[in-house]
Amino acid sequence: MQPGLSFEQAPPISVPFRFFLTAPLFGMAAGLLLLWQGPAALASRWTGVALALTHLIAVGFMLQAMCGAMMQMLPVAAGANIWQPQRVTHLTHAGLTIGTLLLLAGFLSEQALFFRIAVPFMTVSLGAFALIVLVALFRTPAKGPTIIALRIAVFGLIVTISLGATLASAFGWQLALPLTEITHVHAAWGLGGWSLLLVAGVGYLVVPMFQLTPPYPQWFTRSFSVALFFLLAAWSITWLPLQRPDALQVALGSAAALLAVVFAVVTLRLQMQRRRKVTEPTLLFWRLAMACLVAAAAGVILQQLKPGEGEDYAGTPFLLGVLLMVGVFMPVISGMLYKIMPFLNWLHLQKIGKPGLVVPNMRQMIPEARMMMQFRLHLAALALLLAAVPLPLLVYPGALALIASCAWLEWNLVEATRNYARFSRELEERLAQEQVEPSPRPPSLGRG
Amino acid sequence: MGEERIVDGRGLMPPEPMELTLTALDTLPEGEELLLLLYVEPHPLYAILEKNGYAHRSQSRPDGTVEIRIKKRES
Repeated sequence: MQPGLSFEQAPPISVPFRFFLTAPLFGMAAGLLLLWQGPAALASRWTGVALALTHLIAVGFMLQAMCGAMMQMLPVAAGANIWQPQRVTHLTHAGLTIGTLLLLAGFLSEQALFFRIAVPFMTVSLGAFALIVLVALFRTPAKGPTIIALRIAVFGLIVTISLGATLASAFGWQLALPLTEITHVHAAWGLGGWSLLLVAGVGYLVVPMFQLTPPYPQWFTRSFSVALFFLLAAWSITWLPLQRPDALQVALGSAAALLAVVFAVVTLRLQMQRRRKVTEPTLLFWRLAMACLVAAAAGVILQQLKPGEGEDYAGTPFLLGVLLMVGVFMPVISGMLYKIMPFLNWLHLQKIGKPGLVVPNMRQMIPEARMMMQFRLHLAALALLLAAVPLPLLVYPGALALIASCAWLEWNLVEATRNYARFSRELEERLAQEQVEPSPRPPSLGRG
Repeated sequence: MGEERIVDGRGLMPPEPMELTLTALDTLPEGEELLLLLYVEPHPLYAILEKNGYAHRSQSRPDGTVEIRIKKRES
């Protein structure tokens, strides 16, 4: 029997690609909104515009790409199979895409109707995604720090979705709820309990794998995700409408921020010890993200120690938002997409191939110079948006640079998709030729 | 019994370790074992081995290296 490679665990390539190709479009939309609103966007974190911007990036860009990566990561990297991947993909992609648009419309128009539609729609689609992924993560026989971090991260996503649905219900049905308190906890779980833990869990695997560094130290991987989870949980309890223990809240919040600094420092140290001293785009994106994580954590600690100043000075939340979203998560996601998409192309091309046919190299999928160009554009966007805090007019060139960076990312990802189509066509043509003139080589597992 | 065949994928960029492993398995004599060294558990490779009649067992070393021993399953 022909041995033929089996890749049944990998879902069809269209599953993750549709998420990856949609994410940069919302990044561009965030840039356009910022360009339209100008310095008014910096007025307060509580305006409809600020909330629309936050969700365009957090849900439209970040969550979109993260869900796509999760759908792919689980079977390939963790050996966990997702129930009905095609259906879950349709539901989740629709939930994220239409859900982001509903939130955008709701925040900008302040019409309750949009939130009334968004609540059931996003809760069902994203909630189903989170539960199905959580089940897959508990059923996999795989063990290790990545699985533990991912399980806690998905739990963090469930907390974020639940609190988000509560807030949106308050807007939709005019419920009298402590909105400020719930928003703080919702944002902390979204950015820390879900996003940062996901980056860490994935980082344990991909930083050593793609950047050729030593593995993350065991003392760190054993304790980081569990410690961050308990700190966030304890910190969240301090927000309950009781006699609020301020000192405890500051101590727990600062400890969680310090833990994020430890993750960033450990990652940067590992990257300095990498065996091939090549500086490539993914490494630069990760380094930028880790540097911004240190800066953002320092900002969070300072803001907690002097809470009054943060409330009056509208620039502080904008600064922290830009550092965390444009500085930490957008770069780390861009850098990862530049590894994930070429790797998936290669993996799926292997599936088409036949013994004796050479599959194109991963490096042929997206030209490196174009990835570097996007890194420069993104760096410019970050620098200009940070500088817009003291010099608000810089928000205009900052917004333009953000649009350019996201458009460039989209172009690069489209290129990877087109290359996959081209290479698979070429392989199939060569395969057809081989069937006419059979190869003298016996069937083999290797492709070379 | 010849010398133990080893693929050290720890300093290599994916997918090189998988390519080298699959090529090495092509010429692996019956009954012999291939040792693959990596810093991660290669789940996509496990799926391929499983479907193609290869048995594997993995073990972690204290330095984080994962040793994967691959052998043709006896039919």
